[in-house]
Amino acid sequence: MLELAPVVLAPGVKGFFENPGYLLGTPLVILGVIGVLIALSPLEIRWPQRREIAVAERETKLEEVAEGHPDPAEYVRVALGLGVLELLELVVFYFDALGDSALAFLLLLTVLQFALVAMWFMHLRFDSRLFSMLFVGGLILVAALFMIVLASLGASLV
Amino acid sequence: MQATAEVGHLETSTGLDHRKLLMWLFLASECLFFGGFIATYLLYRNRSAGPPFPADTTVNGVRYEGVLDIPFTSVSSFVLLMSSLAMVLALAAIQRGDRRGTQIWLLATAFLGISFLAGQAFEFTEFYRGGLTLSTNLFGTTFFVLTGFHGAHVSIGVLILLSLYVMAAQGRLRREQSLNVELAGLYWHFVDVVWIVIFTLVYLLQA
Repeated sequence: MLELAPVVLAPGVKGFFENPGYLLGTPLVILGVIGVLIALSPLEIRWPQRREIAVAERETKLEEVAEGHPDPAEYVRVALGLGVLELLELVVFYFDALGDSALAFLLLLTVLQFALVAMWFMHLRFDSRLFSMLFVGGLILVAALFMIVLASLGASLV
Repeated sequence: MQATAEVGHLETSTGLDHRKLLMWLFLASECLFFGGFIATYLLYRNRSAGPPFPADTTVNGVRYEGVLDIPFTSVSSFVLLMSSLAMVLALAAIQRGDRRGTQIWLLATAFLGISFLAGQAFEFTEFYRGGLTLSTNLFGTTFFVLTGFHGAHVSIGVLILLSLYVMAAQGRLRREQSLNVELAGLYWHFVDVVWIVIFTLVYLLQA
């Protein structure tokens, strides 16, 4: 495992911005570290939650937590947000508005869309932290896969 | 017995329903499943020896037109995003005991899923007519495997949704069984977020 470190770190700063292994893996690792810190924290730090949902979860009454899910109007607002983000992606793609920054901006928009669906539609924002831990665990493994495979084999996004 | 089964999850050691826990574990494993295909696509990106290419490409002075149709796929992506909205509205409907609303939104989600699949079938057909098959070049292999497996997941999701619709229409899907819709929803939303990633990495980040 240690032999991989020089290979993964070899491309340096320039390689970091050219290699999808780093570009995609780094945000996932950061997300994973935050998720693990939240999950393991003795201070009971948690995803931003509505006060009444946090109370319901502490009482471990699942029905009450389910009732704490967003109302349909909030779902529609989230869907509108998703639509706007997709529109922004197309604007960046077609008008080449951001030049060299377009790649990073497109990835940022993708992460935002991913987070909106996972936190609101999949209810990670409202449900038990254990579900978040499981999902983030999967994402950490994907990050490891991307960083090791793509970085060591020299894939490029630019 | 029925009542025991419905509230039995409250007595688990985690206080969480085991089926929901298992679904999240499954989705975590699915992250790696699709992560492997996405990594493979990125690894072999721009390494095809010959046409067709995903984007406009010039090789030895000869210009080849890209095969990916961004406007068409954008509409497909939007359809899949909106199917996620229909899915959560179906869940909200069953959680408040609205049987008719549940049926309507489940059917709407399935319809939007089928529309997405129809778009994918059209796209695959166009690619095939343009000379791109699973074995034509590295792009064809990695593209069809990645998007094909995603399409297979959408197909399974549509079957689950139609099954739930039939159950709801027969009165066998009550408010107390809303977890069934929630689990189907988790699967459906996961398929949606995978497509969000695929759309950006495969379609928008062209060379």
